[in-house]
Amino acid sequence: MRTHLYEFHKKNAKLTEFAGFEMPLWYDGIISEHLAVRESVGVFDVTHMGRYLITGRDAAKFLDKILTQNVASIKIYQGKISMICNELGGIVDDVFLFRLEEDKYLLICNAANRKKDYEWMIKHACNFSVNIMDISDNTAMFAVQGPKSLNVLHSIFNSNLSDLRFNYFKWINLDDLKIFVSRTGYTGEDGFELLLWDTPLSNPEKAYKVWEMILESGKEYNIKPCGLGARDTLRIEAGFCLYGNDINETITPLEAKLDFAIKFEKPDFIGREALLKQKTEGVKRVRVGVRSLEYGVLRSGYKILFNGKPAGEITSGTFSPLLKCGIGMGYVPPEISSPKTSINILIRGKAVRAEIAEMPFYKTTKYKKKGRIDDLQI
Amino acid sequence: MSDKEASVIKVDEYIIRVDRLYTKDHEWVLIEKDKGTRVGITDYAQKSLHEIVYVEMPKVGSTVKQMETLGTVESIKAVSEVFAPLSGKIIEVNEKLVSTPELINESPYDEGWIAVIEPSALDEEIKNLLTHKEYGKLISDIIRKERE
Repeated sequence: MRTHLYEFHKKNAKLTEFAGFEMPLWYDGIISEHLAVRESVGVFDVTHMGRYLITGRDAAKFLDKILTQNVASIKIYQGKISMICNELGGIVDDVFLFRLEEDKYLLICNAANRKKDYEWMIKHACNFSVNIMDISDNTAMFAVQGPKSLNVLHSIFNSNLSDLRFNYFKWINLDDLKIFVSRTGYTGEDGFELLLWDTPLSNPEKAYKVWEMILESGKEYNIKPCGLGARDTLRIEAGFCLYGNDINETITPLEAKLDFAIKFEKPDFIGREALLKQKTEGVKRVRVGVRSLEYGVLRSGYKILFNGKPAGEITSGTFSPLLKCGIGMGYVPPEISSPKTSINILIRGKAVRAEIAEMPFYKTTKYKKKGRIDDLQI
Repeated sequence: MSDKEASVIKVDEYIIRVDRLYTKDHEWVLIEKDKGTRVGITDYAQKSLHEIVYVEMPKVGSTVKQMETLGTVESIKAVSEVFAPLSGKIIEVNEKLVSTPELINESPYDEGWIAVIEPSALDEEIKNLLTHKEYGKLISDIIRKERE
């Protein structure tokens, strides 16, 4: 599968396959793109993600049933991160939900789970008066991320985005284009995600128009188009999970330290019972950050040793372009999860010195309005 | 101009030095009179790996056999084994690669050398290596296949 910008990616990037999509891995290089986002601004094509509209009288009730988050409390123009859990509390997907109107919601999910999530929703919608519409192929999505992202978009949209609160969105009209702009992201920096409405894959010109405007407006800030390589290194540095690596159906949000997205005060949602039980009994493993103390790159699958004995595994790893050391995340027993705990990572037969680390691994400059740290927490 | 001025051939965008021999796994070996054989990875290898962030090198004094693993070169997305082009004893490794692994990207044939081997069976094993022309043909076959 391809996004609207495939030709641009093919011409300018090294391509890779991700969730069935031919996507850019890097244009210039992972490190230069990563640093561009931390220092100035970068733009990502994230159209490969899934986008669904849930509408109807029972929209909130239905979503409250399948999501761990408190949907009824989401205001119009607001968004929240949530998990979809199964009956055992395992994570089916981590998603982002926005309330567009009274009974109209936008759900954004991982590219790899498009089909799974859609079928899950259809399966659980039978007792509710809801309509679920897949708008993935009728929309384009870009992420503009970095300290200069506000500057870049300000000149294009001529709209005051500085007042847009973290995790909220607004509608912007650009000529004949209707654009959804949210103050969200997956990098740890201040940034925005843009959803181009009524932009079918068969009409890539609309997507190109906005993409090129962003690149043009961003020239004075040395904007870089960024690929999935930098997307991965950025989100690991920020401590964000990647579905399939750090979370999956055998891991619960409690184990993954995503408690903030579980609202137990809701009387009923799929997985509530199992999660409550686990909360009472305590988790047997927990997600932690890991930093290598010797030179090296951490990778998914590397075993974690504590006092020479196997204690867990790395689920996501990389080399941090900012910190210039190997970083990653994995799961260990809660007893050894305190930051600075000494561990070893087995890399090709060698026990490399490492330690448990706090995440984010570096100081973020995430937008915080009025001192309130919104739901998106690590 | 580098003071190690040597002539090159180019296959597509990939540089191949005329003064050395090659393996099919993209290592080069330069036979230095009375000094041993210096080894590294080729321009094609460093371009494929892209930003190199870590190099694992053998211990000085250890021995290697031809085509056995001598070390590894890592980028963010890939781990690539470096194979010994010749059997022998490691008499020197490039310490600069510990703090500046990107030297391999910047100068794969000069500053980015990886190790020096004192060969134990040079005369027999040299037959197993490729000339720069043979390596050039290998690269052009690879490129053609990639483009299909």
